[in-house]
Amino acid sequence: MLKQLLTTIAMTGALMAAQPCLAASPPNMLVIGTNLTGIRTLDPAQNNARTVSELISNLYDNLVQLSPDDLKTLKPMLATKWEVSPDGKVITLTLRDDAVFQSGNKVTAEDAAWSIQRVIKMGQVGSTDVALWGFTSDNVEKLVRAKDEHTLEIELPQTVNTDLVLYSLAGSSIGIVDKKTVLSHEANGDFGGAWLSAYSAGSGPFSLAQWRPNDVAIFNAQPKYWGGKPAMARVVARHIPESGNLRLQLEAGDVDVGQYVASGDLDALSTNKDMVIENVPGLGFYYIALNQKDPDLQKPKVREAFQYAFDWKAISGNIMRHTGFPWQSMIPRGMIGAPEEAAVRYDYDPAKAKQLLAEAGYPNGLKKVLNPSGAPTLPFAEALQASARAAGIDLDLVPGEFTPAFRERKFEVLLGNSGARLPDPFAVATQYAFNPDNSDEARLGSYYLWRTGMKVDELNTLIDQSMKERDTEKRTDIFKKMDGIYAGMASPLVIFFQRTDPYVMRANVKGYHGHTTWSTRWHDVTKE
Amino acid sequence: MASADLTSKQEASRRSTAGGFADAAPHPLISLLRRLAGRVVAVVTTLLGLLFLTFSMGRLLPADPVLAITGAEVSKEVYDRVYDELGLGQPIWMQFLSYVGKIATGDLGMSATTGQPILTDLMTIFPATIELAIIAMIIGAIVGIPLGITAAVRRGTVIDHIARIVALAGHSVPIFWTGLMALFVFYAKLKLVGASGRIDVFYEGLVTPMTGFLLIDAAIQGQWDVFHNALGHIILPAAILGYYSVAYISRMSRSFMLEQLSQEYIITARAKGLGTRKVVWRHAFRNIRVQLLTILALTFGGLLEGAVLIETVFGWPGLGQYLTRGLQMNDMNVVMGSVLTIGAVFLTINILSDVLYRILDPRTR
Repeated sequence: MLKQLLTTIAMTGALMAAQPCLAASPPNMLVIGTNLTGIRTLDPAQNNARTVSELISNLYDNLVQLSPDDLKTLKPMLATKWEVSPDGKVITLTLRDDAVFQSGNKVTAEDAAWSIQRVIKMGQVGSTDVALWGFTSDNVEKLVRAKDEHTLEIELPQTVNTDLVLYSLAGSSIGIVDKKTVLSHEANGDFGGAWLSAYSAGSGPFSLAQWRPNDVAIFNAQPKYWGGKPAMARVVARHIPESGNLRLQLEAGDVDVGQYVASGDLDALSTNKDMVIENVPGLGFYYIALNQKDPDLQKPKVREAFQYAFDWKAISGNIMRHTGFPWQSMIPRGMIGAPEEAAVRYDYDPAKAKQLLAEAGYPNGLKKVLNPSGAPTLPFAEALQASARAAGIDLDLVPGEFTPAFRERKFEVLLGNSGARLPDPFAVATQYAFNPDNSDEARLGSYYLWRTGMKVDELNTLIDQSMKERDTEKRTDIFKKMDGIYAGMASPLVIFFQRTDPYVMRANVKGYHGHTTWSTRWHDVTKE
Repeated sequence: MASADLTSKQEASRRSTAGGFADAAPHPLISLLRRLAGRVVAVVTTLLGLLFLTFSMGRLLPADPVLAITGAEVSKEVYDRVYDELGLGQPIWMQFLSYVGKIATGDLGMSATTGQPILTDLMTIFPATIELAIIAMIIGAIVGIPLGITAAVRRGTVIDHIARIVALAGHSVPIFWTGLMALFVFYAKLKLVGASGRIDVFYEGLVTPMTGFLLIDAAIQGQWDVFHNALGHIILPAAILGYYSVAYISRMSRSFMLEQLSQEYIITARAKGLGTRKVVWRHAFRNIRVQLLTILALTFGGLLEGAVLIETVFGWPGLGQYLTRGLQMNDMNVVMGSVLTIGAVFLTINILSDVLYRILDPRTR
């Protein structure tokens, strides 16, 4: 019996040795190694995070789009042209007539109107951007309407810069869904949300073939796509949470594109001639947050001391090499109103930090608890702890997931990073500088300035103006002014780096470009 | 006889855990049923306690189940809506009671992070882990038992020392590191095995899930390419997981065997001129089979534990990875559903090994 078993094992081993496992993905198939944690649905209306945005952007078309190398120029997609009424109140979009959903139904203005109404009425995270313009479940049906089969009208409930509105229409949450198909799967008035969590009903270049949460998502090309059949017949996004394993698979050619590769593995891959690493700038920063409910941190000189207490140069060459670049302005690089030069405004200067602390009344330094927002920012927090000690700030580092505590204002010093999707300084400014009500009861956890407990009326006014202003030059001045105020007030959000998202690709993969707003599209991807 | 002593001790301890009817001598079937009922009650109580503990921990952690669903950048309106949907406004004890109430009706709730009912998730992922653990156990038994027995027979020789070193290594090297090293050698360098998941992506969708055990499903449907590929994916994590059980299995086999070898009947058999092989495998081994079975059952529980780490390294879509992610994302329904499942597996193994013990060892009846 034992002998037989051993023989079987030996034979199996021999068999496997004789037939090496297939490596390298086929030429018409793109394999993306990523992290699918926490994606619970592929419904555009219920998502706005990074990984899932990419998946959705290939199942659904938007009305307009932004190419990854030009975030300022809106390009046609389902809409071939659009115009804004002279009073800036109504955007009229003309839809192409050759687009079909995977069901075979034609894409009409009715589908587009209903898709936007659906996002607003569902009120899930997908509505975050588009709800800023004043749409509510009560007014959206009246304001977003199909004029005829190919004409969509969007009437704005308040004065808003229409470019901002169009930018939000390019976001993955506003993917246009097949109204007939989705409604046929509606249950308990959920707008088809439950069904769309695991099925697709779009007009995009790909359709969903298989979805297993936290494991794999498989996409098949749509041969009748209006933009032409994609070169990749199949795209697979696979959950590979362990960076070392992902690196091995990239090197072996089993995976073509790797996301969320850890910095140590990125360093190793960067010397490999078969690999290309693209660091895509993101609309967010790495920052230190100082809670203004803490009487010590309320003092401007203490906040200023933090600007000089962090040796950011020491990590810009290693742990931040692929995940951020030095940037200390609240306006992201390359956007209107951003500094022309690299915005480096404070260097590591422990003596100066100590002096500022002494002036604030802390000649013997300061002791605070430091939390990272989560695991990804822990190495950054460790670096801060080490360099702050020499500057007289003794930080007791407590690791864990502290975003919820940050949202509840229950922290002292926190190290976090952020991301946004609207490619306009307005989006980032809203996150970092807007706080209309500083009371605890307001619970405005989506605004970082509220989280730190500071309210600056002048900034609120400027942000409001930047949303409404239609003249680009005037907006540029508004943002410059905002940046000046922010830099001069010793903000409780001390910005050090602008975020970049590294994408590792095998050198034979062409046409894959990570998108700053996370709407990375696979339609033009080829493999040599 | 020492072996008889051992089994009667085990028997006594089993009786005491089962509610203790050591003095009475009812019909064997009735006593078996009683013992089983006692065992079930004990385990259900343990499970409830375990659930309560996990539930409380989940509420004490500084994580937010709402953000697990919505992501961190969420407006107040959406946050409040999801908060209400999850029933987080109720007092903790009410949340716990309503949860347990639902479990009683077979409803384990929805996962916040996969958007699926927990039961649906478990149906998909649990077979993956069981498949891994069974193959790991087969490997562990095939290597561990002969190793332990040989070490016992050749006590003090090189073989014995090798067995000890193997056992020691199994206890001291982190499974995570072994996993990555093995991937590096067998996948990256030698290209003998697959890397991530249960199957290469090119074979996805060729086999219709029937039992959920990919190897069995592929064999039933005659998809031998898929079968071979799946085998290439499971062999490495299973071998590593199995190796960690070899240590325990070989140590226990060795001590059981040593005990048998000092028995009078073995000495008699040897005196009659029987060869060592016959003495060991025909006589001694027969007497330790039942004990080994218990050890294997216990090992199986341990393998589920080891699966947590190995599944992360190998991107294996099983219960271990599911539970780890549930903890990371504070998806309490996932954590509790997984804990319940693991508890239920232990219960089943316990009861099965008990029943098998009685069937195979006449002395326990």
